[in-house]
Amino acid sequence: MPILELQNLRKYFATQKAVDDISLTIEKGQIFGLLGPNGAGKTTLIRMITGIFYPDQGEIIFDGKKFDPLNDIVHIGYMPEERGLYKKMKIGEQALYLAQLKGLSKHDATTKIKEWFTRLDMDSWWNKKVEDLSKGMSQKLQFVTTVLHNPKLIILDEPFSGLDPVNANLIKDEIYNLAKGGATIIFSTHRMEQVEEICDHIALVNKGQKMLDGTVKDIKHNYKENLFRVSFSNKLMAEHLAIHLFQVKEKNEHEVVIKLDPGYTNNDVLEYFIHKGLHIESFNEILPSLNDIFIRLVEDTPAARQFQQVTA
Amino acid sequence: MNKILLIIQREYLTRVRKKTFIISTILFPLLYLGLIFGSTYIASSTSSVLRVAVIDSSGYFDKGKIERENLKDSSNILSLVNYSADSVKANYKALGYDGFIVVSPESNWEAGLKLSLQTGRTLGIESSSGVQRKLNNIWDGIKNEKLGITDSIKTKLEESTVTLRQQNFNDTTANSGVATGIGYAAGFLIYIILLLYGSQVMMGVMEEKTNRIAEVIVSSVKPFQLMLGKIIGIGLVALTQFFIWVLCMFLIYNFTSSLGNGVTANNVIGGVQAIFTSIDVPLILGCFAFYLLGGFFFYSSLYAAIGSAVNEDMREAQSLSFPITMIVILSIVLLPGVIKDPSSPLAVWGSIIPFSSPIFMMARIPFGVPGTVPWWQLGLSMVSLIIGFIFTTWFAGKIYRTGILMYGKKPTWKEMIKWAIKR
Repeated sequence: MPILELQNLRKYFATQKAVDDISLTIEKGQIFGLLGPNGAGKTTLIRMITGIFYPDQGEIIFDGKKFDPLNDIVHIGYMPEERGLYKKMKIGEQALYLAQLKGLSKHDATTKIKEWFTRLDMDSWWNKKVEDLSKGMSQKLQFVTTVLHNPKLIILDEPFSGLDPVNANLIKDEIYNLAKGGATIIFSTHRMEQVEEICDHIALVNKGQKMLDGTVKDIKHNYKENLFRVSFSNKLMAEHLAIHLFQVKEKNEHEVVIKLDPGYTNNDVLEYFIHKGLHIESFNEILPSLNDIFIRLVEDTPAARQFQQVTA
Repeated sequence: MNKILLIIQREYLTRVRKKTFIISTILFPLLYLGLIFGSTYIASSTSSVLRVAVIDSSGYFDKGKIERENLKDSSNILSLVNYSADSVKANYKALGYDGFIVVSPESNWEAGLKLSLQTGRTLGIESSSGVQRKLNNIWDGIKNEKLGITDSIKTKLEESTVTLRQQNFNDTTANSGVATGIGYAAGFLIYIILLLYGSQVMMGVMEEKTNRIAEVIVSSVKPFQLMLGKIIGIGLVALTQFFIWVLCMFLIYNFTSSLGNGVTANNVIGGVQAIFTSIDVPLILGCFAFYLLGGFFFYSSLYAAIGSAVNEDMREAQSLSFPITMIVILSIVLLPGVIKDPSSPLAVWGSIIPFSSPIFMMARIPFGVPGTVPWWQLGLSMVSLIIGFIFTTWFAGKIYRTGILMYGKKPTWKEMIKWAIKR
């Protein structure tokens, strides 16, 4: 059963259509990547899922029932892109306060906080103030306060920005652990390389609309351009490269990148090269990165969307 | 509901635990008293003695009479001189005078004197009226002599006068002197607390917005709960401070009354006790707490709305809060008029309209309920203040909900009202 279903969600502001008819289904235990350029409508979409905004139109189904912000909010953990903590408050008290606002009792919250602090090497932090922490440290604290109450759905907006590689890996491992434990994670970002690594499923939004949606593997497959990199142990001659099977994209002495013409298969190419007496060392398909797909899909759209008038 | 309590608790504790709270609670009454006594002290001690030369060609004035009056009042010194007016004018500084008066030879005691005080610089009105007072006293002596009024007749004339004391038969304990004092004190205290704690609410909201913690919190609670929790929390801080002050007052009262039995001659102690017995202490304290909180809720929710609408720039907040601060200041500017005539239409209506009622009503109540303030006025004023703050809180909540997540350009009041009207 999906944990979250969005049906034709719409949210219009005075100057722009922030979310314009988006439907999505997110299964339990998934790590879901919500991708899009700045101003695509990701934050507005997330704010509707977290009950901060009401949609103008459309339905949100949370865990099988119509989303009821007042009661369901305790099952959601949200880390906004712009991190926020009370600077003058002690770290332990702050975590306790935020956990209690999520409905945890004081006792439970204290136990949980101590557990997490130990796990993430934050034991000595309890009586420090946020203003004494570095940016990366407060990031860690923010992450802990987001997941402390064991939410069913965790929404992380750019969780790795500002983290060094060591701490980024630490958080990444925790995200995997949480997903293994049954939590669903929505991971909003415009950093494609992180998505490819972490997410099983992604959706790309732009201009308030969903451009595509699916598993990383499927999407790459759908957007592949039939490019292959072939390398040889003997020297490549001009007469080795025929014109009817493929087009040559790049070439040097021992290597060539080709684009297969429609109607031919990998075997046809291999057969052809073997027939020409070449010794093949490697033969790889070049799949597009999400970054390439993303740019290809987004590049034709005007960036300054916010200045367009709404005609609704 | 539980969540609002958590927010109230945090807002309250973080403020009360601060050193600044403890210090300001102790310092404020001292500062307040110091300001009142200090300013009168400074005003009286810094004024310099005015020296005036009197050039008398009429022969009415003599040295003895002038010296006698100089002894009674030393804020100015008159001295009879024989120089001509021109030479005094040319040398008044060298002679050590600030100015001079010429009494012409044609002066007639029955017609009175029209004199002018010639000075090298412009004097304050207080100084010249002091000289006039002294001259009149001397002149009285001269007239008495001419009329043949002896000192014993003079004493009789002065002693037998009419004194008028106003008494309200609905409220026999009312004492308009004490009421004026308490009216001013209560009005000013509410004024200061409204502005001080109102701006604390505004700063608190701005802090949450610029820290970006607001988005984290509103994913756990409704924005309205967050705003209300903050306002109530800070309101309780104000109330705590007020109770500490009341407690101090009672301690002083008990302390003075225990002393009072033995040393009744002490004027100050007697005065303090007279104040306590001439007013309805529980009524005034109760009403004060009500108007303090009511006025605080009324205004602070508006301050919260402003805090939510602006960014970290303090100037933006100031320019938006200016109209609201202006209304509070206007009430305090009109306060003396209200205290002078607590039953005038301005005072009555001003104490019913919630914009000014916290300050105006608290200035009127010491004059007596139901003598000066009928029960219906007090009731109407309280109800309209409650309705007023429910309305402003609702209105502010709407603005707050939109503003707290809005970054960028500072909105105008017009835009903010649009946010409030939008569903």
